[in-house]
Amino acid sequence: MRKFKCSICGYVYDEAAGIPEKGIAPETKWENLSDKFICPTCTAPKMAFQLLNEAPDQTTVLSTDNSNKFIETIAELSAGEISAICSSLAKGCEKQRLTEEMDSFKKLADYFKIKTTPIQQNTTLHDIIKMLEKDLNQSFSVANKAAKANADRGAQRSLMWSEKVSTMTKSLLERFTKEGDLMLKNTNVYVCDICGLITIGDTPPDVCPVCKVPNFKITKIERD
Amino acid sequence: MPAYRNVRLCGKDCLCLYVCPTGATDTENSIIDVAKCIPGCMACVDACPSSAISMLPDKYPPPQIKMDTVIMAQRVLGQSKVQQEKIAETIATLSDSPVTRQFAKAIAKSNRCMAEDILREAGYMLPQSTKVRKLIEILIENAPAGFPKDAAELLLNKLQKIVV
Ligand code: SF4
Ligand code: SF4
Ligand SMILES: [Zn+2]
Ligand SMILES: [Zn+2]
Repeated sequence: MRKFKCSICGYVYDEAAGIPEKGIAPETKWENLSDKFICPTCTAPKMAFQLLNEAPDQTTVLSTDNSNKFIETIAELSAGEISAICSSLAKGCEKQRLTEEMDSFKKLADYFKIKTTPIQQNTTLHDIIKMLEKDLNQSFSVANKAAKANADRGAQRSLMWSEKVSTMTKSLLERFTKEGDLMLKNTNVYVCDICGLITIGDTPPDVCPVCKVPNFKITKIERD
Repeated sequence: MPAYRNVRLCGKDCLCLYVCPTGATDTENSIIDVAKCIPGCMACVDACPSSAISMLPDKYPPPQIKMDTVIMAQRVLGQSKVQQEKIAETIATLSDSPVTRQFAKAIAKSNRCMAEDILREAGYMLPQSTKVRKLIEILIENAPAGFPKDAAELLLNKLQKIVV
């Protein structure tokens, strides 16, 4: 009997135990669980689970040589980066109750957001999946290594959150490619204001499964 | 160091109203009146049974120094998230399906959160830091057309410098 761990919230599905209260009998094999199976604590889809013990240690598997070259070629801050830096500084000012400064950073953020290189009109959600693959297979492990090597706890924390959020988004996108609009038709979509985790469900989680913020910081995304 | 009340924690027990020597805590919108608050007084902080009031610091120490490898690696991810936000936003405006638009909107918001957090950890945490000042100065010097120069200059004037 094996165990599978949710990569988002850490919940462990134990084949031996099943989840009787959800109608999953003990000794139910992972492959016999429905594709619609979701994590009982955070609603992550089935593909967000990893077999315990055999979890690959990505930091050793991936060579960093190429990736380091790749990051050295980036010099100046792009408009998109400046925009995100300014909108985050606006939030920083809000916490310090510096209203005028907050507004000014917002103005800068909006300005550079418009300046961000426009995307070709025929892009699809699939392009996001491709970028997420690169993030998850390469960029996160490079960044994690750098943050660890320099004992940068703040960077490590930000990477841990966004890696989980990215994993969740990728699996939701893959489901969406198969199920299409039906996936969301009769339910709601929520985004955590703090870490960005997307959850699907009739109600938001009580606390965000990734960053643990209470749900008054979780926003419902309306359909227009 | 003015006092600040977290309205979400405030149980409206009103002890702060009794102890405040200036009436700064007694406002109709629950926001403590900074103009009336006596710096360093702290009477309301100690009195509040809900721990809803804290003192905002006037000065911040220089932030932790970020290493180049960390900065670069964070930026690679930050850029990727900003681009994903842009793609999602494009889909959120162009798609014919309301459900797809809704999902794309969620993805855009999610990516903005991640980009902000990841890039903040590339050394842009504190608005008052030297690194942020530098960035604003460079932006003003190279101001492209339509750049909100007033806003940038306000920031340089208002944000206190960090004394090292
Ligand atoms: S003492 Fe605390 S709980 Fe009572 S009104 Fe003042 S801030 Fe609110
Ligand atoms: S710190 Fe003192 S003066 Fe300022 S609001 Fe609190 S009790 Fe009033
Ligand atoms: Zn989970
Ligand atoms: Zn969260």
